[in-house]
Amino acid sequence: MKFLHLLLWLGRRDWALREVRVTLLAVLVAVATVATIGLFADQLQRSVMASGSQFLAADRQLRGSQPMAEDWLKDSATLGLRHAAMVRFSSMLFADQHLQLASVKAVGSAYPLAGQVTVRDTPSGPVRRLAHGPAPGKLWVDARLLPLLHINVGDSVQVGQASFKVAAILVQEPDAGLSMLGLAPRVLMNLDDVAATGVIQPGSRVAYVDFFSGSDPQLSRFHDWLKTRLRPDQRWIGVKEGRPAVSRTIDRAERFLMLGGSLAVLMALVAIAVASRQYAIRQLDTVALLKTFGLTQARINRLYLGRLASWTLIGTGGGLLLALPLWFALAQLAKRWITTPLAWSLNPVALWPAAVTAVVALFAFALPPIVRLRKVPAMRVLRSLPGVDLVGIVPDVTLALLAMVALIALYARNLWLVAALLGGLAALLLLLVLIGWGLANLLSRVGQGGGTWRLALIGMRRHRRALLSQVAVVGLTMMLVGTLYLVRTSLLQSWQRQLPAEAPNEFLVNIAPDAVPQVRRFLDQNNLSASHLYPMVRGRLTEINGKPVRQVVSDANEVEALNRELNLTWMEKLPADNKLVEGRWWRTGITDEVSVEQRLAEKLGLHPGDRVTFVIGAQQLTATVASIRSVDWESMRPNFYVAFPPGALADYPATWITSFYLPHAQRLLLDRFNREFPTITVLDIAHLINRIHDIVGQITQAVEALLVMILAAALLVVIAVLGATLPERQREGALLRTLGARRATLVRSTLLEFALIGAMAGLAGVAAAEGAVWLLQYRLFSGTFEWHLGLWLVLPVLSALLMAVVGRLQLKPVLTVSPMLLLRQLE
Amino acid sequence: MNERYSDTPDGALLQASELTHQVVVEQHTLTILQGVNLEIKAGESVAIVGRSGSGKTTLLGLLAGLDVPSEGTVILAGSELTRLSEDERATLRSRYVGFVFQSFQLLPALTALENVQLPLELRGDKDAEKRARQLLERVGLGDRLSHRPRQLSGGEQQRVAIARAFASDPRILFADEPTGNLDTETGAEIVELLMTLNREEGTTLVLVTHDTQLAARCSRQLRMEAGRLGAVPVEVSA
Repeated sequence: MKFLHLLLWLGRRDWALREVRVTLLAVLVAVATVATIGLFADQLQRSVMASGSQFLAADRQLRGSQPMAEDWLKDSATLGLRHAAMVRFSSMLFADQHLQLASVKAVGSAYPLAGQVTVRDTPSGPVRRLAHGPAPGKLWVDARLLPLLHINVGDSVQVGQASFKVAAILVQEPDAGLSMLGLAPRVLMNLDDVAATGVIQPGSRVAYVDFFSGSDPQLSRFHDWLKTRLRPDQRWIGVKEGRPAVSRTIDRAERFLMLGGSLAVLMALVAIAVASRQYAIRQLDTVALLKTFGLTQARINRLYLGRLASWTLIGTGGGLLLALPLWFALAQLAKRWITTPLAWSLNPVALWPAAVTAVVALFAFALPPIVRLRKVPAMRVLRSLPGVDLVGIVPDVTLALLAMVALIALYARNLWLVAALLGGLAALLLLLVLIGWGLANLLSRVGQGGGTWRLALIGMRRHRRALLSQVAVVGLTMMLVGTLYLVRTSLLQSWQRQLPAEAPNEFLVNIAPDAVPQVRRFLDQNNLSASHLYPMVRGRLTEINGKPVRQVVSDANEVEALNRELNLTWMEKLPADNKLVEGRWWRTGITDEVSVEQRLAEKLGLHPGDRVTFVIGAQQLTATVASIRSVDWESMRPNFYVAFPPGALADYPATWITSFYLPHAQRLLLDRFNREFPTITVLDIAHLINRIHDIVGQITQAVEALLVMILAAALLVVIAVLGATLPERQREGALLRTLGARRATLVRSTLLEFALIGAMAGLAGVAAAEGAVWLLQYRLFSGTFEWHLGLWLVLPVLSALLMAVVGRLQLKPVLTVSPMLLLRQLE
Repeated sequence: MNERYSDTPDGALLQASELTHQVVVEQHTLTILQGVNLEIKAGESVAIVGRSGSGKTTLLGLLAGLDVPSEGTVILAGSELTRLSEDERATLRSRYVGFVFQSFQLLPALTALENVQLPLELRGDKDAEKRARQLLERVGLGDRLSHRPRQLSGGEQQRVAIARAFASDPRILFADEPTGNLDTETGAEIVELLMTLNREEGTTLVLVTHDTQLAARCSRQLRMEAGRLGAVPVEVSA
């Protein structure tokens, strides 16, 4: 109790010390930044997952070719999971003498667990969004079926042995997806009616989908239980598997947020290190005094450790409190951009890195010099002794580096991020050594006199020891700001590239060869710019170098491409968004070659020269791998795992595929298209595109807000560092004034001195940032590196200006107060 | 514990014998004190005078246990300082010793009241603030409680330091050039204050000074010369 009382008493007095305020503020900023980002990233993740769930019609799907075991359902119910069932099969639909193959989804009463089914009552009527499937005896059908079967809503249709009433037009079901498999017109019916149709017989090709929804822990517990029991035909699908394009966008954004957070923490760490060292230096006399009061070393240690602990508590508590409104503001900002409701819940798991940050920051950066305080000799009160060496360079820097690496690693969980930042730091250090050496040379040549330049340079020479550390810290700050800015810019650019305003939002699939010219004409007439039309032949990969593929690939069940038929195409030229990674493009005249997508090739262990065999229909086709391609799956254009040279697939039945951008105003064209080409499937992915736009918009705002927070942290660092020489500079200013220096000269030389420091720091920082960005781009954001000449100009100038302003502010008391008063105050 | 820290049998509160202190500066051994013997009885006031660099301040530090001699012994309140660890010496200081410094050594961030309160708070005194207030009133600074050191004159700062020194009820007070940073008149006031408080509190006073006026007020004067101690000739002290 007594100790607590004493700590409180001392703590209140400590608050008067600038270093303590800066340290606390830095901890506050670090904790608030980490917590805000943690909360926001968590929310983003859950919002996206929630909206992703709408694409899956549930949180997870279990897909298989046989029904799920009965007892699994019981187990999932015990765990508290909600469940809905679906059976998907192909069947002929009959209406009078007309018949048409349709892809039928029979759904249970709980379907959909997430998202809504969109229907229309008439082909041109308004859409209705429903949270259920059709009632027994009713069918909801694809608009294309109406002309194909010559029916209207309200008419009867026969499926197998049962007759149904068409109750509505199916516009979109949540799990419609982009699958190229079910290209036949879709039909939704009630699961209870399936038996009556008699369509499903032993040996029928049927897909069973079980939908599950629940909390993350429930889902992962079920999955853990399920993992070992899954049959080879069964697959557990989450949002990431279901929507790779969305999840990749999120991944990148999260990485960026983490990078930003790491940088903010780094900066706060620097501020803490600088301020706490100043604090320790200030405490030298105090500790000596305490010793004359009779305090033992252990007691002195306890007093200072107690303070550190209280700072940790205050910093963490305050930071977390500050994080809440910041998070709220950030989320509000994002809310304008997204259509799905934000998931508001405070996840304590997202907060613990923030708490760890405070502890590590204070104890790794502030503790070492403070712990050494207890060694201050008591005799110091009687005569000024050479102070205790408060900084043991090797152990302190080692500890600080380790703590830094550990924090970033913990926080970003990415080794490359750590490596890139350390690389940048190394570059910075090297530059600083060079600058230091250059400065020493330059300053030793400064002559006598009182010109502005001379005064500025003399000022720098006087503070040369502090100077280098100031350049180092400001340079580090500039490096971090530069890194973040560059990464942000390239991230936004890559998103814009990925999703230009006119990204294709409609796919045309199942185009018969003879319809290709008509489709082209239709698109041209309506000024719709389609990507290339690609032929598509369905084939299954069966052998690699003459051996069955399941023998060659150990985890064949995991490779999705082996569990289904692949869409094979042929192309003459490499598409613009593909890149050749290995091998070479076709030589003219040779047709038994094939180009394989990079990731599939990696999974299958394929390299140029390998022979691959496909079964297409009843025939076999063997070709040599000529090249490995990388494919931009996010481009929203048709992309293929496997491509052949023109002519190679000429003998096989092909359909064609293309994608194009349809402006919102021209959406009515789709109805005309459907009427003109009833057999062609139109996949409308506008909602998916909008979703990605939402996310990108949301993240962009977050990124900008983050940049502001980082800049605030940067400013704090600069103030902390410059504060170190503040009293000394003010005393000198007062002295100079006493000696008759003119006000204007003083102002100019100070501005110049600080601007020079700023410019040097900015230059070092931008160089180091380029180094870090080069590493980051290369590994983390898979972009290409380029020099950023603009930044080489802007950052040093900005940094010079900033420093000049800070320097001018520091000079203010020197100019406004009488030199005598100032000198006395500074005694 | 109390028995351990009792006075020496012959009534001396502080006793130093054959004190020698050497420091190594750039590979040369410098002898600062040589064979110093000294005995101070409870209630005495002793001035150590001498020129700058004669070793006065070093001697004061050794007597107060802030440092340990190269050779010789110091017995303070019955404990042989030279055989105690630094922490044991600290504990001893907290019980018996107070200090007044030439440069005041006030903490700039604390007010006058807080500076006096500090040692009291550190020992967990419940009436710390009340007692600090009383002490400041006694040194004539009752209206300066919330001033920070930089807002006080040198004489006022030294008064605060004296109030702080007496706050912990020391049996022995060490003062290092207490008037060294003050003008003659202010110095005289401080001397007066120090002496009055010393008398009223029954404290033993050991001070280092080259202020002859101050030295003359002490019951005994000792002169340091080149690291050796001798009594000041009677005619000077008379």
